[in-house]
Amino acid sequence: MAAMSFVRWWWGLLLAFALVALVRVFLPLPFANEIIIFSIYTMGCNYLLGRIGLISFGQPAYLAVGAYAAAFYLFYFGNNPYVGILIGIAAGFLVSLAIGPLFVRLRGDYFALVNLALSVIIFYLMQKVLAGITHGDNGLWFLTNLASTPVLDLSRPDQFFIFGFLVAFVIWAFFKYLDDSIFGACCLATKLNEDKVKFLGYSSFNIRLTAFVIANTTTALAGAMYAVYLGFVSPEITSPARAADPVVVTILGGVGTLYGPLVGSIVYTGMKDVLSKVFGNWELVIGFVLVFIMLAGEKGIWGSLQPLLEKMVLRVTGKTAERGGSGQ
Amino acid sequence: MTNTDDILTVSGLNVAYGESKALFDIAMDVRACQVVACVGRNGAGKSTLLKSIAGFLKPTSGTIISDGASLVGMSAFAVAGKGIKYIPQDKKVFSDLTVQENLELGSYASQDYDWAPVFDYFPKLKILIDRKAGHLSGGERQMLMIGRAILGGPKLLLVDEPTEGLAPSIVMHLRDVFKELAKKTALVVVEQNLPLVCAIADKVYALKEGRIMAELTGRASITPEACEQYL
Repeated sequence: MAAMSFVRWWWGLLLAFALVALVRVFLPLPFANEIIIFSIYTMGCNYLLGRIGLISFGQPAYLAVGAYAAAFYLFYFGNNPYVGILIGIAAGFLVSLAIGPLFVRLRGDYFALVNLALSVIIFYLMQKVLAGITHGDNGLWFLTNLASTPVLDLSRPDQFFIFGFLVAFVIWAFFKYLDDSIFGACCLATKLNEDKVKFLGYSSFNIRLTAFVIANTTTALAGAMYAVYLGFVSPEITSPARAADPVVVTILGGVGTLYGPLVGSIVYTGMKDVLSKVFGNWELVIGFVLVFIMLAGEKGIWGSLQPLLEKMVLRVTGKTAERGGSGQ
Repeated sequence: MTNTDDILTVSGLNVAYGESKALFDIAMDVRACQVVACVGRNGAGKSTLLKSIAGFLKPTSGTIISDGASLVGMSAFAVAGKGIKYIPQDKKVFSDLTVQENLELGSYASQDYDWAPVFDYFPKLKILIDRKAGHLSGGERQMLMIGRAILGGPKLLLVDEPTEGLAPSIVMHLRDVFKELAKKTALVVVEQNLPLVCAIADKVYALKEGRIMAELTGRASITPEACEQYL
């Protein structure tokens, strides 16, 4: 029984990441690396939006915090990319913890906009106010500073892919664990009805704050990985024009589903890569796809595919559904 | 003056929604294992009273004392943590969570994982354990909300219109459950179903336009007719 439940817990995860590994075989390495990083970036946004019901148009802010923290270390102080990533994670955690108590008090539109405002603030800080340190629009270049590291050399894109793949796997498993835990139930309950959560004796504020910190630390991790992978960071990373990207990818993949960020990242990056070669205004296509998804029931690609796949699996195995769980 | 047997004492309570005053100088007390009913027409302030005790509304003045501690200004989750559980009127459960997950939320908050009493009161919940709460009937949702609230052995249950819109057979079942629950915990029940009130209540407060019009104590004096004359 335990083995069966283990397999049931892991098969989806293994299958999803086997598909990502296939991406690496059939598609160029930069494309695969971008998908991996973007999926981690989106996982944070997906958790905020799908599990706690907080929509944020300021995720690039946290991406930039992680990216610049790693970049400052790698440009000015050291050359170990692993240390750079750890510093990026720590910065994301501390910033989220510092501003979270203020931000999570806000609801709906105000939460979305205050994050967008933070993104704009960080953009101008990095572009103008701190230009002496950040080199403004020229950005910080440190690709040649990166030291070769044992086991997985992150200065090599092929080995970076393996590292990114493992990190994405761990983050995904962590979010699945959260979903299955009592904290996951608390988050979903807070999204569904915040007052009822209080009746039970939970502080909905603490639940929202914890989810906020977890989600944005994950986003900062993606930022630090971007910095290490590209060996370069500029204010463009937190450009207001890119503010909606993670939300778009989350909706594209399927809000609140565990596979949504992966599917959304593959489709978004794929469309960007493929369409931009034949069609200059590729974002127009994304716009039409989003409108279609919204009109078709807001489930996203994975959200629409999931019931069909479940039916197929049930037909093959001949079993009936045992219980309804949260969407995966 | 607080009686030592009282687990809840409310005095001089005034509550307002902005400029609009909803409760005027309310005084009430609840003893351990006592069933106290609040009756009144729509808009009399019954639900406002429960929400004020549960920490959802901040009174403009007055005191709410439980076990020697003031509940005024305390957040709703802290009041729940003191063993005062509010069961709202709307019968909205966490619809995307299963019955089991709903109970787990109650268990984790109260650190009480013994669901046997819940299933003793409501055997149907055991059968529905894997069903999403959004797919339950109104009566089943009410059972789930009460079942979730009694985890951890609360000292006071604040139950808002529990039988509204429910079938007579379920109302009878809830009446029996409330009688059983009253052996272990105190209840404040807001209810418009006067026969039910008369069957379970040890004390009745009749509210009208935010004021307590009468306090009926003792089974003999609690009759539908007696309640009706103050509404």
